Amino acid sequence: MSRLSPMRLILIAVLLAAAIALPFAFDPRGYAIRILCLALLFGAMAQAWNIVAGLANQVSLGHAAFFGIGAYTSTLLLIHFGISPWLGMIAGAVLGGLAALLISLPTMRLRGHYFALATLAFGEVMRVIANSWGGLTGGPVGISVPFAPSSLAMLQFKETRPYYWLMLAALIAVTAIFVAIRKSRLGYRLRAIKENVDAAEVIGIDTTRTKIIAAVLSGGLTACLGTLYAQFQYFFDPDTVFGVGSISVRVAMIAIVGGIGTAIGPILGAFFVIPLEEFANQIFSAQAAGLSQLVFGVLLVVVILVEPRGFVAMGQRLARRFRREDRS
Amino acid sequence: MTTATALLAIRNLDAGYDGVAVLHDIALSMDAGEFVCVIGANTAGKSTLLRTISGLVAAKGSISFQGEELVGRPSHRIPGLGIAHVPEGRHVFPEMSVDENVTLGAYSVRGASDLAQRRERVLEMFPRLRERLTQAAGTLSGGEQQMVAIGRALMLSPRLLLLDEPSHGLAPKVVDELHDTFLTVSRTGTAILLVEQNTTLALSVASRGYVLESGRIVLAGTSAELSDNDAVRSAYLGL
Repeated sequence: MSRLSPMRLILIAVLLAAAIALPFAFDPRGYAIRILCLALLFGAMAQAWNIVAGLANQVSLGHAAFFGIGAYTSTLLLIHFGISPWLGMIAGAVLGGLAALLISLPTMRLRGHYFALATLAFGEVMRVIANSWGGLTGGPVGISVPFAPSSLAMLQFKETRPYYWLMLAALIAVTAIFVAIRKSRLGYRLRAIKENVDAAEVIGIDTTRTKIIAAVLSGGLTACLGTLYAQFQYFFDPDTVFGVGSISVRVAMIAIVGGIGTAIGPILGAFFVIPLEEFANQIFSAQAAGLSQLVFGVLLVVVILVEPRGFVAMGQRLARRFRREDRS
Repeated sequence: MTTATALLAIRNLDAGYDGVAVLHDIALSMDAGEFVCVIGANTAGKSTLLRTISGLVAAKGSISFQGEELVGRPSHRIPGLGIAHVPEGRHVFPEMSVDENVTLGAYSVRGASDLAQRRERVLEMFPRLRERLTQAAGTLSGGEQQMVAIGRALMLSPRLLLLDEPSHGLAPKVVDELHDTFLTVSRTGTAILLVEQNTTLALSVASRGYVLESGRIVLAGTSAELSDNDAVRSAYLGL
């Protein structure tokens, strides 16, 4: 983890400037810019997921639980008490972190598939609760965010561009948090756990506590992103925000396809998976039922077969090959 | 050697996994700075013994280290007391550099201001590691990985070093180097409890030994006594 070289700093600055200017190239009320917004948001979610899954190798399939908690908390506070979604986001983060703590206490001793299954069940339980507790959540009918005049304070905009910048800021913030954690003592503890749990224990790392801290951070951040999603979509129901396929698996898949455990992986993954999914829907959904999902699924399988460690590893392999050819 | 002054005193120790008992009524004691080995066949429970001392295995009975009871203590609280464990199979962190591996060894030392000195001491002991500081530990040879694991353990400046089958899977020439490594460490005053299937190696470096068979200690004595014992000679030395 060397310090950033001037070349890399310049590259990051150029990319950032391009990312900020990008919405001007699209129709501000169009469809494409909404896809970009979702790609940024899902990139941020995959990055939050990456904190616990990428660094500690505890692959969660239940992150929808935290996402949904964030979406419902801020929206319900807004509907019933008129509380700004920003404060709602903080409340959601606290609840999301608390939920992560609760689910982590019994499950963090589990490894591999067992952990993934336990978290999957947790996400599903939250979905069932949200569906059946109609008095609070509106049940399967869903819930709408009350309209307000465009303002940053109420986190509502008529145009799509401010949402784009908001999502971009969220992705940058979560990525910065991920990088900071990876370089910190916590990050070293998590990497030690990922590489060898027993060796980590015998050098004095409290492995369970370390994993729980990471899960709480990851859950809290994911809940914040749930609030952003609610404010962006204006309407959601339990099956969307607590969904296995719509959230939990998709978030995990984005990070895995991009490159799990790396800072750039979730971003690459999101900008591949989200547009690809939309593209498949647009082209194939009119032709036969389920065809678009099939095409989307097959493409993902191909990517994983070619390089199970994702785009980042693919890029590294290509770079190595170029260097070798340079030398010869 | 009386238990009152012993560095490590194990009494009436039973231990095992998920209700399957592996160790039965173990009694073992070590003085400060002593080099003791535990020999025995595969599955005799040698690794379980070390894992029990480190708190990785549930146990009944007593393990007293410098007067502190270890049974019931969580495993991450044990290194801080001065016990360093080198697990079987060279458990290095493969994707971290040699330097990161070694430095992480002092992880549980609170407010260590002498981290640089500790690191320097370890690197002096293992000059080979200094040459490879930035290399990923997983890319080292087996013998070098064992050095990383031992060096990482020594970062704790432990009173007691637990070594689990360090020669396992290493070439004979590397095993010879290990022999020297052990003596170097022992000379610093660190007590070593070595578990080995390579009985010849174990008895040539340790001053005393215990023979473990099906989870029970069946024999104890100085290395010379054990080397002369007929049962040990036929069962473990192949003579």
